[in-house]
Amino acid sequence: MQLINSIQSEWLKTRKSAGSWLSLVGGLFIPIIFLIGFIYNHKTLSTYGEATNLWTAHFFQVWQSMVVFLLPMGLILATSLITQMEFRNNTWKQLHTTPQKYSTIFTAKFIVIIGLTLQFFIYFNIAFILSGIVPSLIFDKQLPNSTFPFKDLLMNNGKILITCLPVLAFQFLISLRFKNFLVPIGVGLMFLVTTLILIGSWEHAYLSPFSYSPLTIMGSPEMMSRVNIYFWSLGYFVVFTLISYVMYINRSEKG
Amino acid sequence: MYCITTKNLSYRFNGQDTVLSDIELAVPKGAIYGFLGPNGAGKTTTLRLLLGLLKKQTGSIQFFEQDFEGNRLSILRKTGSLIEAPSIYAHLSASENLALLQKIYRCDKNRIDEVLKLVGLEHTGKKSAGKFSLGMKQRLSIAIALMHEPELLILDEPTNGLDPNGIIEIRELLKKLNQEQGLTILISSHLLAEIEKMVTHVGIINKGKLIFQGTMQSLHEAQQQQSVIYFETNNLPATKNILQAAGLHAVEYEKGLSIQLAEPAKVALANTQLVEQGIAVYQISVIKNDLESIFMDLIK
Repeated sequence: MQLINSIQSEWLKTRKSAGSWLSLVGGLFIPIIFLIGFIYNHKTLSTYGEATNLWTAHFFQVWQSMVVFLLPMGLILATSLITQMEFRNNTWKQLHTTPQKYSTIFTAKFIVIIGLTLQFFIYFNIAFILSGIVPSLIFDKQLPNSTFPFKDLLMNNGKILITCLPVLAFQFLISLRFKNFLVPIGVGLMFLVTTLILIGSWEHAYLSPFSYSPLTIMGSPEMMSRVNIYFWSLGYFVVFTLISYVMYINRSEKG
Repeated sequence: MYCITTKNLSYRFNGQDTVLSDIELAVPKGAIYGFLGPNGAGKTTTLRLLLGLLKKQTGSIQFFEQDFEGNRLSILRKTGSLIEAPSIYAHLSASENLALLQKIYRCDKNRIDEVLKLVGLEHTGKKSAGKFSLGMKQRLSIAIALMHEPELLILDEPTNGLDPNGIIEIRELLKKLNQEQGLTILISSHLLAEIEKMVTHVGIINKGKLIFQGTMQSLHEAQQQQSVIYFETNNLPATKNILQAAGLHAVEYEKGLSIQLAEPAKVALANTQLVEQGIAVYQISVIKNDLESIFMDLIK
């Protein structure tokens, strides 16, 4: 019960916050660019021509533009912004003098960050669906001529979400540890850029926790058949979360 | 009964000298306890230790006659606090800041409006707290500390940065809470004058050591004992002889002589004798008779 109250309290903090706006804008941005492109060029989903399913083809097209850089970048920014909110507002001391277990505070914060990521996925999918439907309604006066692959898209969303988890956990760890906002952002960006360079040139690039979202698009078939990136993602996620928890609990100064 | 007691509380930051040494606080229930000391004396460190914001190294801390360790949650449920600068979410309004705590404390939603009214912030509407003046932020922080109707309030320099009017308002509010709701208040300050009109008990800390603790009455008694009467005349050697003959031990002080505070009748008699001996008395005054001087003497 206390955890639910703590999550509600943490969720309220994200209202009107930069992290929350980022989740909204980040989720809508690329699908809306596609929507504008379709309308401007008088095109619809039928532009994918021979694809087995137009929606699936559209989904991968839109995600392609997201997963390599924008998605990890958004995760770095949003996680750091939300976690660092307590440092920025000088509120750790207030939070730590409320009658909540430290483990509850930690869990509630992390759940809210994952919740914001889910919210981003929801915004993305709504905008994605609209980017397929609206041009068809305008130009073909009907819905896209392809079954909506609900189950497949849900699965693909789930897989991409799993690849986000190590980045979330790593950024959460760094943002809890360092007071200076530039540290988590700088470290995250450095890792991301280095990873993107390595993906093209190093066969073990999958060892980087920042590699999994880009690998869903950029990974060579050989690497993808050899490495289960979802397993690695979950592994890193668990390890980083445990490290953050131990560091957080043992912090000698709590505000 | 005591709301807070500490025994042999000491603390040192990593690799540094001892910041606190054997602090033995005793804050009685129902008191307004002024925790005084110059900047850097160890007030905030003590309060952070009390609230568990710093890991205790040696000594013991009890709240409501229970060890803080092992009873942290039940103690914090009865304690409100404000440590140093205001601790508020700048992007949220005053009522949104309080709503966060309403969720945690599971108190009635009406309490938000009640505390906002109590601290005079009921008309701030949707304005984000980041746009508040320092005084408003400080009052919001007090509202946050009061949200769950605590039995004990720990305030670290709550009037810092406030204008004189703001200081008076906060002082009146705290007195009202103490008198009407029986709230025990531990308030720190580096200015005795700022809180002497409000507190019932006082603890003075300097260089990490508690150098005085007691009621305001006992501080006033110390003040009486330490007061000095100053004589300035045109003939100091003769004055000294006359004063000593009257049983008053005089020592040289600035441009005149000083004696420890004595009965008014003896001072009057000495004055009469001085005048009768033809000595011109320029000044007889009581010096070091204010609490601030005692405070300054203690922290020297």
